[in-house]
Formats: sequence, C-alpha cells, structure tokens
Amino acid sequence: MPTPSSSKPEGLPARGGVLDTVVTTETPEGILLELRPAGLSVRFYAFAVDGVIRLAIIYAAAIGLALFGQLGLALWLIIIFALEWFYPVVFELMPGGATPGKRMFALRVVMENGLPVTAAAALTRNLLRVADFLPFGYGFAVVSMLLRRDCQRLGDIAAGTLVIHQPRGAPRMALGSVEPVVPVVPLSADDQAALIALAARAPRLTSERLDELAALAAVVSGDAGRRGPDVTRRVLGVAHWSLGRRA
Amino acid sequence: MTPLQFEALYEAEWTELEALLDRVLGRTGRRSGAREEVPGDRVAALYRRACEQLALARARSYPAYLVDRLERLTADGHQVIYRQHEFGAARVKAMLLADFPRAVRAQARYVAAAAALFLLPTIAVGLVVYRQPELILSVVSADTASSFDRMYSPSAEAIGRVREATTDWVMFAFYVRNNIGVAFQCFAGGLFAGLGSVFFLVYNGAFGGAIAGYLTERGMAPTFYSFVATHSAFELTAIVLSGAAGLRIGHALLAPGRLTRGQALVGATRDSAVVLYGVAMMLLIAAAIEAFWSSAQWLAPSLKYSVAAVCWIAVFTYFIRQGRRAA
Repeated sequence: MPTPSSSKPEGLPARGGVLDTVVTTETPEGILLELRPAGLSVRFYAFAVDGVIRLAIIYAAAIGLALFGQLGLALWLIIIFALEWFYPVVFELMPGGATPGKRMFALRVVMENGLPVTAAAALTRNLLRVADFLPFGYGFAVVSMLLRRDCQRLGDIAAGTLVIHQPRGAPRMALGSVEPVVPVVPLSADDQAALIALAARAPRLTSERLDELAALAAVVSGDAGRRGPDVTRRVLGVAHWSLGRRA
Repeated sequence: MTPLQFEALYEAEWTELEALLDRVLGRTGRRSGAREEVPGDRVAALYRRACEQLALARARSYPAYLVDRLERLTADGHQVIYRQHEFGAARVKAMLLADFPRAVRAQARYVAAAAALFLLPTIAVGLVVYRQPELILSVVSADTASSFDRMYSPSAEAIGRVREATTDWVMFAFYVRNNIGVAFQCFAGGLFAGLGSVFFLVYNGAFGGAIAGYLTERGMAPTFYSFVATHSAFELTAIVLSGAAGLRIGHALLAPGRLTRGQALVGATRDSAVVLYGVAMMLLIAAAIEAFWSSAQWLAPSLKYSVAAVCWIAVFTYFIRQGRRAA
C-alpha cells in the first residue's frame, strides 16, 4: 500500500523497491498513479499477433485486388506501405491506445505521465522502429528493454511513451462467511490493513499456509502461541471487524 | 469511519463516474453511431472527488479492492480530462501555413548541415563517375547499370526507375514506399548520435550522384534531367529535412546542455514531429509528380524544366517566407 508522499522523485517505483517495476506519475490533483510497464516477452507476443494480422490483411487485399489488374496492384502496394508504417500509429491513436495484438494481451500505449498517447508521440515511436530494428531483428529494442526498468525501446524513449499492462481490478472480498470478532488488543491502522490484506488473500491460499500466516497474527484474537483452523477463523473475524462489519 | 461505511457513503458517486467514463471512452459495449453528450462539468467534479477519496483511502490503508477501484477511476478520469487534442482542420491548416515552415527555419543550422552532407557527395561522386564511368560498377551491379541505360534511353516510352509494371499508379505506389522509407531512415538514424543520419544522407547523395554522372557521360542527360527536375524539388528537400531532423536528435543526445540526455532527446523529437508530418506530405506530392508527370514522354523537356523551376522557387519561397507574420 503506497503512502502518498509528494516528494518522491519521478520514475522511482512506489513500492517493492528493487523487484517491482512500477512507474509512478503524479496527477495535477496530487494523486500518484501507478503504471505497470509490460515486459519484453508479452510485447513480443503482441508484436507477433500484429504481424499475423498484417499478413492476413495483405493476403486478403491481394486476393480481392487481383480482379482490378494494374490499378489493383497499385492499391495493393499502397496498402502494404500504409500497413508497414502506419498500422500501429492509427490503432494507438484510437481510444483503446493499443493495436489488436496489444489489446489481446491487455497492453496499451500511454505517455510517460499516464495520459493517452499524442499523435506526435505515436508517429515518432513507430517511425523510430527503423532504428530499433538495427542491427537485425529488433536488436537495439531488445537490449534497451532488458536494460531499462520501464522497458522502453529506443522509440519509446524518444517519444516519451510507455507500454503498460491495462490495470485490472482486485476481486471483491467475499464477506459474510466469517463471524466478525472484536480484537482483544488495540490495532494500529497498519495492523488493520495487514489483517484485511490477509483476509482478502485467504481464498487463494492453501488452508495449511493460511493457518501458518494467521498464527503470526494470533495475538489479535487472544490466541497467542496457538494455531489451527479455529484460530484462523477468529483472526479472519478480527479482519472483518476491522473492515467495519459488526455482528 | 470503517472501510465498509466509506464504501457505502460514496458508492453512488463511483458508479455514476464509472458509467460516465465508460461512455466517454466508448466502453459501453453498445455500438451506437451517435456519441451522446457527456456532461463534462459533472465528470470533472466527480473525478476530483474521487481523487480526494483515493488519497483518504490510501492514507487510511483501506483494503486493496477499494483502493484499486479508486485507482482505476482516477486513472481513467485523468486520461479523459487531460487528453490532448491534436487533430482537426484548423490544426492541419495552421501546421501547413505556419508551424511546418517555422519549425524548419528554427532548425536552419541542421538543415544546412544536412544539405551539405547530401549535396557534396552528390556533386563529388557525380564528377568522379562522369570522368570514369566504369566506377559506376563499384556502386551498383552491371545489371542495374544496364537497366539505367534502358530506363533513360530517349526511345523509351516511359522513363524513370525500374519499370516492372506499366501503369503510372503502380509507379506512384512504388515511389511513395521507396522515398518515404529513405526519408524515415534518415530521421531514425539520428538516434545513433546522428551517425545514422549522416550515413544515409551521404549514401543516398552519393548514389544519386553516381547515377547522374554515369547517365550524363552516356549522353542521356536530356531524358534524365528532364525526368528528375520537377519532383526533386520536393523529394530532395524532404530527404534533406528529415536528415536535418535526424541530425537534430543526434545533436541533442551528444550535447544535451542543461538537460539530461533523455530529456534533450524527448524535446528534440517533439519539435521534429511537425517536420516529419510535413516531410511525409512533401514526399506524397513528389511521388505523385514522379509517377504521373515526370515519366510522361509526350511533354517537351522545355515545359518540364519551366514547371520544375516554378516548383523549386515555390518550395524555397514557402520555407523562407511562409508563417513569418504572427498567425
């Protein structure tokens, strides 16, 4: 849980220190937004899907335009040219901010401050693919993405854009399966937050692991030193009480 | 206040804001042709309240699902409210009439450098090949050289580059692809400290010079020059301008001044975007001229030269004079 502090230098991860690649950016309202840059592999998959889509369009156009002789050939060449340079630009400027391939993997292109990508930036990042492609097979892009914590390729750096994972909401907590329990010790806000986080994760943990974790917090329900399903249920009860449920 | 009370208190606002944002961002799932009006003041007010509530929720360490929901709301609202609109007839007009020539004038030094890098090899290689035509073979293969002979021989019915196909439209498509590719390469090469731009400018200049020198020596000057004169006004200028933009970002990387290299690079590319829009347009014009006008054999060379002179003067006047007055 990040604590809002406006003195945070730009571009430092909000939490998780070394491991997490979150990029934070501050809105004019003083809210820190967290952007999660997409890594090399998922961006490669999206690129591959886009490549297949482009080829499909080119083949379909070839079949359709073959009927029109020379003029058809001309149109086909123009279509190939447009796909080559402007396919990503057009799609990234649409409301979703993503090519079909990126959309499939829930990625989107945004400016470094989290705003929708501007036309100039979309054009720049995609024209600079020429440079990214060198020396062969997007070599510079790969090196740049692996070296940078925000996973930008050269075109992204120059255009000031990021490719991020679309934010996904955390699932709602299941309430009502546990009786709320009044804590026997005063709980600080951090303690309450930790308990609530444990309760939120409970459905995804094995029961043994959940018991082990709950035993660490057993003191809140007066069960210090014990462990087992009953202790776990009472600790989770305290979590639900912290949430604001009253029996 | 407990998290559940907090949620109950503001739930109605959040669902309203979610619905409004979905409508603005076109995520309603309904594909209605007409975009309904969204009350902007309401979105803005709800967005600012959601920002306050997010700050509270974070400060009070409320559960993750609450904070996440508010984070998504504020992120979407931020996108909607601070979006930059760049398109529209007025913007394009302003760009053509003022921004593009101004941006070029602002980069005059780089344009001069790019022009020198492009033209000096053209002239030097052109003269060398004119003296010793066999040197053309060190630039292109024998097959290509003989195809130049065929292309520009006065008896050819259509002149120009390799003509696999017969119609002007096909050539238009081919030229667009080829020329815009060259120009974009000249720009993108700037990322390598400008060296890529230098290389592409020199290479393309030398290549053009070699062909010109070779054909002049073979006595095909009339066909060749009347062919290239008109569209080169746009094509060569555009290639030099994109090379200049490339040199500009290369220079920003090498000598960022008081900025970090990253900041200098982003600033230089942002200023170069307008130049690139203009360059793409000029190359479309050049490709159209090259395919439909330059290659027409039935036009007298004298007519082509006159039109070419008009085009050259127009291009230079445009960059020197246009957009000087406060728009």
